[in-house]
Amino acid sequence: MKRQAASKSTGSRTTAATKTPVRKAPARTTTPRAPKPKPVETVLSIEGLVKRFGDTIAVAGIDLSVDAGSFYGIVGPNGAGKTTTLSMVTGLLRPDAGRVVVHGVDVWTDPVAAKRNMGVLPDRLRLFDRLTGAQLLFYSGTLRGLSDETVRARTADLASAFGFEDALNRLVTDYSAGMSKKIALAAAMIHSPRILILDEPFESVDPVSAANVTQILRSYVDSGGTVVVSSHSMDLIQRICDHVAVVVNGSILDSGTMASVRGEKTLEERFVELAGGRTSVEGMAWLNSFSD
Amino acid sequence: MVEQLLRLKLRLLGNAFRRSPWRVVGLVLGLASGLGIAIVAFTALVGARLLDPGVAAPPVEVFGAIVVLGFVIVPLVFGVDDILDPRRFSLFGISTSRLATALAISALLGIPAISLTLISLGQVVTWTRNPLSIVLAVVAVPVIVATCLLASRVSTGVAAFVLSSRRSRDSAGLLGFVALALFFIVFIAFRNANWQQNAGAILAGTARVASWTPFGAVWAAPADAAQGELGLALVRELIALVFLGLLWLAWRTLVKYMLVTQPRSAEARSYHGLGLFRVLPVSPASVIAERSFTYWIRDARYHASLLVIPIIPFVLMLPLLVIGIPGNILALMPVPIMALFLGWSVHNDTAHDHTAIWLHIVSGTSGRSDRIGRIVPPLVVGLPLLVIASIICAPIYGDEGILPALLGVGLGVLLTGLGLSSIGSAQFPYPAVRPGDSPFAAPQSVATMSALIQGLSFFVTIVLMSPAFVFAALALFIPSYWAWASLLYGLVFGALFLWLGINWGGRIFDRRSPEILGASMRN
Repeated sequence: MKRQAASKSTGSRTTAATKTPVRKAPARTTTPRAPKPKPVETVLSIEGLVKRFGDTIAVAGIDLSVDAGSFYGIVGPNGAGKTTTLSMVTGLLRPDAGRVVVHGVDVWTDPVAAKRNMGVLPDRLRLFDRLTGAQLLFYSGTLRGLSDETVRARTADLASAFGFEDALNRLVTDYSAGMSKKIALAAAMIHSPRILILDEPFESVDPVSAANVTQILRSYVDSGGTVVVSSHSMDLIQRICDHVAVVVNGSILDSGTMASVRGEKTLEERFVELAGGRTSVEGMAWLNSFSD
Repeated sequence: MVEQLLRLKLRLLGNAFRRSPWRVVGLVLGLASGLGIAIVAFTALVGARLLDPGVAAPPVEVFGAIVVLGFVIVPLVFGVDDILDPRRFSLFGISTSRLATALAISALLGIPAISLTLISLGQVVTWTRNPLSIVLAVVAVPVIVATCLLASRVSTGVAAFVLSSRRSRDSAGLLGFVALALFFIVFIAFRNANWQQNAGAILAGTARVASWTPFGAVWAAPADAAQGELGLALVRELIALVFLGLLWLAWRTLVKYMLVTQPRSAEARSYHGLGLFRVLPVSPASVIAERSFTYWIRDARYHASLLVIPIIPFVLMLPLLVIGIPGNILALMPVPIMALFLGWSVHNDTAHDHTAIWLHIVSGTSGRSDRIGRIVPPLVVGLPLLVIASIICAPIYGDEGILPALLGVGLGVLLTGLGLSSIGSAQFPYPAVRPGDSPFAAPQSVATMSALIQGLSFFVTIVLMSPAFVFAALALFIPSYWAWASLLYGLVFGALFLWLGINWGGRIFDRRSPEILGASMRN
C-alpha cells in the first residue's frame, strides 16, 4: 500500500519535472519530508557570519548548515537580519566576518564558481523592468551561460508552469507586485541551480500562484534540489518546509528539522515563545466603543 | 483644519533639514537661489521707481507675466512631486471646501510664497506715483501671490492626472526638454538681434499683449493708473480678479474630483518576441549590449542624453558666433564636442540600473562583459554619427584636407571617453535619476561629488587625447600630413585607452560589485 502511494507520487513528480525545467530526478526516490539516506552533502554552510551597519549589529554571528535536498525555512520578525544574511550568502553584501560555502566553494573567495550553483531571488531590489518578461528571462538565462535554444525552451516551460504566458510580451514595469515576484522567481531557477535562495518569495503573490509556486519548489526539492526561503508567514513555512531556523536580532535562536523545532506546538506558538515581545492588548477598550 | 495643515507643512519642511548633511547643503543652496532671485527682482523693481512710468511699465509687465506663467507651466512640464496632494487626504473624511481652503493656505508656507511676496512688494514701490496706483499696487500684492500659488496648485493637480501613467510621464519629460532647448535657441537668437535698436520696440510689443492676458493684467493695472489711464487700470484689475476667481473654482473642482479618483493605472503595451535580443550571437557581453540598447530606446533618461548630443554643439557655438568668431572655424567644433559627450554619456551607467544590478552580481557576470555591453550603444550610435559629421563639417571649414584630423580627434575622444567611463561607472557610481523618474527629477545626489566626477572625466579625456588635438591644430596651419598623424594617434591610442578602460573597469567591477549595489541602494 505504502509502496503504491510512493510510486504514484513519483509518477506525478516526473510529469511535473517534464513540465518544469528543474533538474531531472535522480534514481533516488524519497517521499517528501521523509528522513534522507545518509550521508547527505551539506550544500550550504554558513559559519560565524557577522554584519554591522554603523553601531547596529544586523547579523551577530550566524552558523547554519543546509543539507542537499532540504526545504529550509528562515523565519523571524521584521528587521531580524534575514535579508542581510541571505544577501551575504548570495554575494550581494560583503560580510564583516564569517564564511559562506556553497557546494564546497567559498562565496567570497571564489564568487564566480559559487554563484554558478545558486539561484537567487532578492527582496525589494529592482528588476531590469524596461524589458518584457520574455526578455528578462532570456537575459537572466544568458547571463547564466545558457544557450539560445535552452533559454527559449525553458522560458516557455517556466511561463506555463508559473502561469504568465500572456504577460511575457509586456514590460515588467507594468506588472503587478505579485507578477514581478513570479517572473523574478522564474529567472532565479532558469539555470537549474543546485540551491535556490529565495527572500520572501510569497510576498504579494496571490494564494493560487503561491500554491503553484510551492508545488514547483517541492518537486525541485524532491528531485534533489535545495531551497532556502525566508518569510514571516509561519503557517506557510510550517506547511512547506522540512527544516527551519528562527532568527531574532541577528542570531539564530533555534534551528533543525521542523519537528524538532516546533515540538508539540505550532511553529507560530514556538516562534512567539522564542522571540518574546508579545504585548498584552489591555488598555484598548476605547476601540470597542465606536466614535461617530 | 487650516492650523493642522500649516503645522504639517512646517513639519515636512523642517524634516527636509534632517536628512543627510549633503542634502541639507543642496536644500540651503536651493533656498538661497530662490530668495536671491527674489531679492534681485525686488531691487530692480525698487530701482524702477526712478524711471518714468511709461518706461518702467513694459519691462515690469513682461517680467510679471513670465513669473505667473512660470507657476503654471513648471509643474506641468516637470511633474512636481506634490507633498500635499489632495488624494492623500481622501481617507480622512474632510469636506471639500475645508480641504481646498486649507491646502491653498498651506501653500503660503514655503520659499515660492516668500519670494513672490517680496517681488510683489517691490512693484508697490515702483508704482508709488499717485493714490490710485498705490491702492492698485497694494491690492496686487495678495492677488499676485494668490494667483501664482493657486495656479501652481491647479497645474500640479492637472499634471498628476495627465502624467499619472508611466508612458505619458516619459514623453512629457521629453517634450519639456525639447521645449527647453527651443527656448534656449530662441533666447540666443534674440540675443543675436540688434538689441540696442529693437529692444524697446520688442519689449513694448510683448508688454502690450501680456498686459491683456490674465498673467500680466494684475501687474499692468497699477502701471496704467500711474500713467493716468484710470479706465484701463480698472478693466485690467477686473481681468486679474476674475482669473483669480476662476482659479479658485478650478482648484475646488479639482480637489473634489481628486478625492474620489484613484490614480490611473498604466495602459500596458504589448511587444513581440525578444526584440533586439535576436541580433547578436548569445553571450553575456552581447546580451548586456542588447539590454543597454533596449534601454536607450525605451527609457526616457537615455532619450534625454541622446537628444542633448546633437543639440549641445549648437548651444555652445551660438555665443561664439555672437561675439564674432567666423563660421568656418566654428565648423570644427561639433565633432569633438559630440564625441566628448557621447563618450561621457555612459560615465554613470551602472547607477542608472539602480538596484537591478543585483542580477549581474548574483549571476557572476564578469566585469569585462558588463563594461563591454554598456559601451556598445554609444559606440554604435557614435561611430557613424562622427564620421558623417566630419564629412559634413570639413567642407564647411573650407579645406577637405582637415577631414582626417577631425576624424582622429572625434574618434579618439569617443574611444578614450568610453574607456574612462568604463572605469568611472565601476569605481565612482554616484546617485542618478532612478528608473521611471522624470529625466529632470533632481536625483538625491551629492551635488559636488557628481560635479567633480563629471568634470574630471571630461578633463582626463582631453588630456589623454591632447596629442590628437595638437596634431589637428598643426594641420590647420602646416601641410596635411599632421592631419593623418592626428587620425593615427586618435585611432591607435583611442583603441588602447578603450581596451585599458574595459579591463581595468572590469576588474574594479569584479572586486567592488557588492559596494556598487550598496551605493545604488542608498539612492
